[in-house]
Amino acid sequence: MPTLIKLADGRYSAAEDVFTIVADEDAIPEGPVILSLTRFQAEGDALISAGRPVGVRILPDEAVEDLAYDLPRLAVVALVFPKYADGRAYSSAALLRQRFAYAGEVRAIGDVLREQAAFMVRCGMDAFVPADGSTAEDWAAAAGRYRHVYQRAVDARAPVFEERG
Amino acid sequence: MKALTANRLIDGEVVFWQGGQWVERFADAQRFADDDAAGPAAVDAALAQSTVVVEPYLIDITEAPGGWAPVSYRERLRALGPTNEPSHGKQAEGGAGIAALLAATGAARSTGRVDLIRRK
Amino acid sequence: MYRYDAIDKEFLADRAAEFRGQVARRLSGEITEDQFKPLRLMNGLYLQLHAYMLRIAIPYGSLDSRQLRRMAHIARVYDKGYGHFTTRQNLQLHWIKLGQAPDILDLLAEVDLHAIQTSGNCIRNVTADPYAGATAEEIDDPRVWSEVIRQWSTLHPEFSYLPRKFKFAVTAAAKDRTAARVHDIGLVLRRARDGSLGFEVIVGGGQGRTPYVGPTIREHLPVGSLLSYLQAILRVYNRHGRRDNKYKARIKVLVASLGAAEFARQVEEEWSRIDSPQADLPDTELARIRAAFTPLAFEVLPPHSETFEAAKLASPALARFARNNVKPHKKPGYAIVEISLKAHGATPGDASADQMDLVADLAERYGLDDIRVTHEQNLVLPHVKLDDLPAVHAALAEAGLATPNIGLISDIIACPGLDYCALANARAIPIAQAIARRFEDADRSELIGELKIKISGCINACGHHHVGNIGILGVDKKGEEFYQLSLGGSGQEDASLAQILGPGMSAERVPDAIETLVDTYLSVRQGEERFLDTVRRVGMAPFKEAVYADAH
Repeated sequence: MPTLIKLADGRYSAAEDVFTIVADEDAIPEGPVILSLTRFQAEGDALISAGRPVGVRILPDEAVEDLAYDLPRLAVVALVFPKYADGRAYSSAALLRQRFAYAGEVRAIGDVLREQAAFMVRCGMDAFVPADGSTAEDWAAAAGRYRHVYQRAVDARAPVFEERG
Repeated sequence: MKALTANRLIDGEVVFWQGGQWVERFADAQRFADDDAAGPAAVDAALAQSTVVVEPYLIDITEAPGGWAPVSYRERLRALGPTNEPSHGKQAEGGAGIAALLAATGAARSTGRVDLIRRK
Repeated sequence: MYRYDAIDKEFLADRAAEFRGQVARRLSGEITEDQFKPLRLMNGLYLQLHAYMLRIAIPYGSLDSRQLRRMAHIARVYDKGYGHFTTRQNLQLHWIKLGQAPDILDLLAEVDLHAIQTSGNCIRNVTADPYAGATAEEIDDPRVWSEVIRQWSTLHPEFSYLPRKFKFAVTAAAKDRTAARVHDIGLVLRRARDGSLGFEVIVGGGQGRTPYVGPTIREHLPVGSLLSYLQAILRVYNRHGRRDNKYKARIKVLVASLGAAEFARQVEEEWSRIDSPQADLPDTELARIRAAFTPLAFEVLPPHSETFEAAKLASPALARFARNNVKPHKKPGYAIVEISLKAHGATPGDASADQMDLVADLAERYGLDDIRVTHEQNLVLPHVKLDDLPAVHAALAEAGLATPNIGLISDIIACPGLDYCALANARAIPIAQAIARRFEDADRSELIGELKIKISGCINACGHHHVGNIGILGVDKKGEEFYQLSLGGSGQEDASLAQILGPGMSAERVPDAIETLVDTYLSVRQGEERFLDTVRRVGMAPFKEAVYADAH
């Protein structure tokens, strides 16, 4: 099982992943599931009504706006990085947090590498499934490489101009 | 005929395959017949040396009066150095191998260059 | 000048340390070349034909003597004793070793220099008017806003993996010395009718495969709203720019396909939803940055310098230098001095380490320690007393830095081309040298007047050939280097794209063709018309006919 790393209260830890990512062509298993956007739009309501934790995975060219009304009921939004260089998930995460005040888990999946950890965290992602074997310690180190940041982002880090007082 | 070239990872130096080693002089490069499977085999071996070299590829070479030279102008530049500064790059060494490269003329697209473009 | 404080310095140290770690992980094989490449590009390191090339950032083209001396030192110790100033006001070193790059970044960080985001699919060096703070004609100091954007865009977490590179230019004077209209975003400072300061926001200009003069998507953006508005633009681009085809991934393609009006509408809509008080820079921080650029300690001098006038009378060389390379300063008794890196037969834009040291010395002694790089690959000492011009000129002349050709035919922009660049199809440097040698005669050059020749070795247009009065594009025609000429481009406030003159020609024919174009111009020019003006007035036909007269 690939490691799931969660960020909570500023700390990174390996976590058990209770969610199953369900491919569109597969039957939906028991327990918490993460569905594609289209499948969620078709079958999501029923699962949520049945009391199951449900998540949606968003591809880079899918709009988080399409989830706007469902977000309060979603346990997880998983943002897919088909290739690490596809930076659309950063905007998706920022919108989820800032535009829609989404309070659930925003998870990075796909080509997720520690070299981009800091950007993911600053954009509001709080769960990560690394593709490069990174441990929680690796992730924390990567996310903490910079003592200062120049701009405000989704996270609570004070930009340099606030540090200067 | 063909030769195998790449850039060395640590310093970017243009290098050529010679029997499993990497040499800096084109004149010392191993030459493969166009249909020799040893050429592609060397490429595979080079690709596996990803902490030694970057982007290995085969280039077309031709025998000119002075000696062997890459067919393509771009590859001759890689084997020589920049034309605006003769004291920079491999050409500064002088000698017969360099003279052969300098004397080579004409150009067609090198196989290696074409391959690189297709791969992108 | 913006001075780095302890926080800025810690940032550079962290950046250098991060890259050292990344290089180590690449060398050990922990990360692949494919994973490493954007990381090294975002630290300005390209793998070129002969070696790695390091592109050092010179933020908005501004540096001091300490920094220039450090670049000279690095060029000596880690390169071959020279560097190349670029069309984006940066410095390139062409013979760098990856293994030494972390040490180089450490050395740069010591003097507040870096190579952050000088390559990669991220926001690049913000370029600005090289005469900022010295010219009388600026509405505001564009360096203030360039520094604001530089900081905001540095490791911006949402915008570090864009579809493609992103380039800003900021200008505040009527005369545009930045080519703002062919940038991804060009910002032109203006005062509204009520006197308030704002930006004309131009988006989607660019060169390369598909050149565009960018449309204005907003006539007046109040300066206080700059960052929130830029966030809206970048977010629309990050989400909707094409990622399927590298050659269609710039914002200019998105703007062109949506149309300027629709693109502007999407930006305005996104902007309306952004929490602007959160996104915009607090006034206190803006004031702090602005304070870094407050006017220097200029002396109160008479506008007329007897020393300088007498020296000009005595020295025709100085007089010629003054005519072409010395520009008016906003303060009486001062001047802006352009240093040409286009000595005839030399490589355009190159300076030796010794020359860099000399310019540093002159800046420190005579120039209020202020040096600029122009996007035409020259240097500027923006604050020199007229009284000191004879001494400055003499020192420059001794170092081969006093070629009196700024803006003239031999002040050619040329990219490094196939001599250095892995992307090139043809060489650019020898073409520039051949043309410059053909037009060595200084009297003739002045007679011809302003004529901007720009040469690119491939369609990526780093030589800005699309906005050359004469643009030259090197192409590979069946393995031979061929050159396509175009006419009528301008990167200034009257921006226009050059039109192709006719079929490409071999390298040997190019100087003759330029000569023919010049002769044609001189034969039909009216009054004080520049070459560009004549081309615009009479059209391409006379020029095409003259150049291809013997074509069959």
